[in-house]
Amino acid sequence: MTIDIILQLLINGILFGAMYGVAAIGLSLIYGTMKIVFIAQGTVIILVAYACFWLFQSYNINPYLSLVFIVPASLLVGMGFYQVLFRKVAKAGSFPTLIIAFGFLALLENFMAVAFTSTVKALQTSYSSYALTVLGLKISFVRFMAFIMALLGTGVVFFFLKNTLMGKAVRAVSENLEYATMIGITPHLINTISFAIGIGLAGIAGVATATTYAFDPYSGFVFSLKSMIALALGGMGNVVGALFGGILLGVIESYAAFFLTGGWADVISYAVFLLVLMFKSEGLFSREADTK
Amino acid sequence: MASLLLKVTDINVFHGDAQALWDVSFQVREGEVFSIIGSNGAGKSTILKTVHGLLSPASGEIEFLGSRIDGSTPAAIVHLGASIVPEGRGLFSTLTVEENLELGAFTKRARAFTKETIQELSKIFPIINTRRHQLAGKMSGGEQQMVAIARALMSRPKLLMLDEPSLGLAPLVVKTVFQIIATLKAQGVTILLVEQNIHQALGIADRACVIKTGKIAMTGTGNELRTDPEIHKAYMGTLR
Repeated sequence: MTIDIILQLLINGILFGAMYGVAAIGLSLIYGTMKIVFIAQGTVIILVAYACFWLFQSYNINPYLSLVFIVPASLLVGMGFYQVLFRKVAKAGSFPTLIIAFGFLALLENFMAVAFTSTVKALQTSYSSYALTVLGLKISFVRFMAFIMALLGTGVVFFFLKNTLMGKAVRAVSENLEYATMIGITPHLINTISFAIGIGLAGIAGVATATTYAFDPYSGFVFSLKSMIALALGGMGNVVGALFGGILLGVIESYAAFFLTGGWADVISYAVFLLVLMFKSEGLFSREADTK
Repeated sequence: MASLLLKVTDINVFHGDAQALWDVSFQVREGEVFSIIGSNGAGKSTILKTVHGLLSPASGEIEFLGSRIDGSTPAAIVHLGASIVPEGRGLFSTLTVEENLELGAFTKRARAFTKETIQELSKIFPIINTRRHQLAGKMSGGEQQMVAIARALMSRPKLLMLDEPSLGLAPLVVKTVFQIIATLKAQGVTILLVEQNIHQALGIADRACVIKTGKIAMTGTGNELRTDPEIHKAYMGTLR
């Protein structure tokens, strides 16, 4: 009985945490190449969740099918974000860009509140409450799908970074912008690519959010914070680490939410965030371990 | 006489408010090794960075292959055919040797020949084959310098700029580095070399100049400068 609950909580945590991980990978790429703390990431995810919701409500498009439109659209929008919001200030340092990201977050939140009202939305499909039973453990179908999407997204990004010239250039710029510039890599191109991928991943996370959670225009900020915690746990510039960081955070939250009352779960996750930053700022799954 | 490859005319360069270069002029001819020597902080690296487009001159002109490049981006300059091995080698330590080399051919002109260029370079740099999948950060300084030079050659440059290639290397390794410079010269690569190691730098140079607190103090053939009593007094005694 208790073992069952422990395992059940573990699985719930893993399934949900993978989504934090995906958002964190996006943040990691954007921070890695441009040193921009893109705090609006979570709010963009909520915007995508609204898009997914709208496609389902108005055109009856299956949310998983909507990925076919949402991911390419997110990639394009990501390129636009860089060109419009950050291209001119990319060299200005992380403070001006943080302010821009913050302003953008506020703009998006208010836009969504006007356009979609602030009532909580939840996407109800025939399989929303369906659960698979595996070895006596219940696995929510939509959460399982969110997990699969997270794994696929991570896999694609990992492959891109390891095996394509542009991906290698992204890693090079993340390691040392000046050296990368010297050998003829054009920073704007690489920044555009990083932003596209970051927002592309927000597209995946947005669909995952829409199918698993009730959301309102203001849910994004907490999501951004959680992704940053995942990033801190996983270590900057480490794709697989960021995914694990997200999963770990999901598990911690899952247990904390069960064993402690409501608000304490968040207290615990923020405390973990600070402790990791204080004592192991390179992340629990830092690069040294990753490269072995 | 061989044609001019690089023509630097009266450039003035600032680091913030401080002037680093004063009316610096020099010319590099096709196929030669041109050395810029001088002590620490004299402005040697600043010259290379300016030619490479990392710094913009406040005034003056830089011509490469007949076209103005002052104010161009490094990417455009690499594309035109000049590449640099920065001081400290500038490898990406978390990338493998092969990945570093591939990125050396990032510009469109070179990208199509990536595989062939790596193949060709591995004849001069055997380390490319033996350490291909090793992380650049886990190699010795000498090995890194070889990979750094090879990476700069990946763009198939006409002009190779080397910023203190002997810095921090053991004497035997320095010798190997200069042997490679000689090999490259024999293959027709024009080389602009910045060095504190004056014996080596003047020994290999067709022509050279001395830079002193941001100004060119003297220009001549490698031999002329090597036998110049002033230079002997100023550098040779202290920098052996």
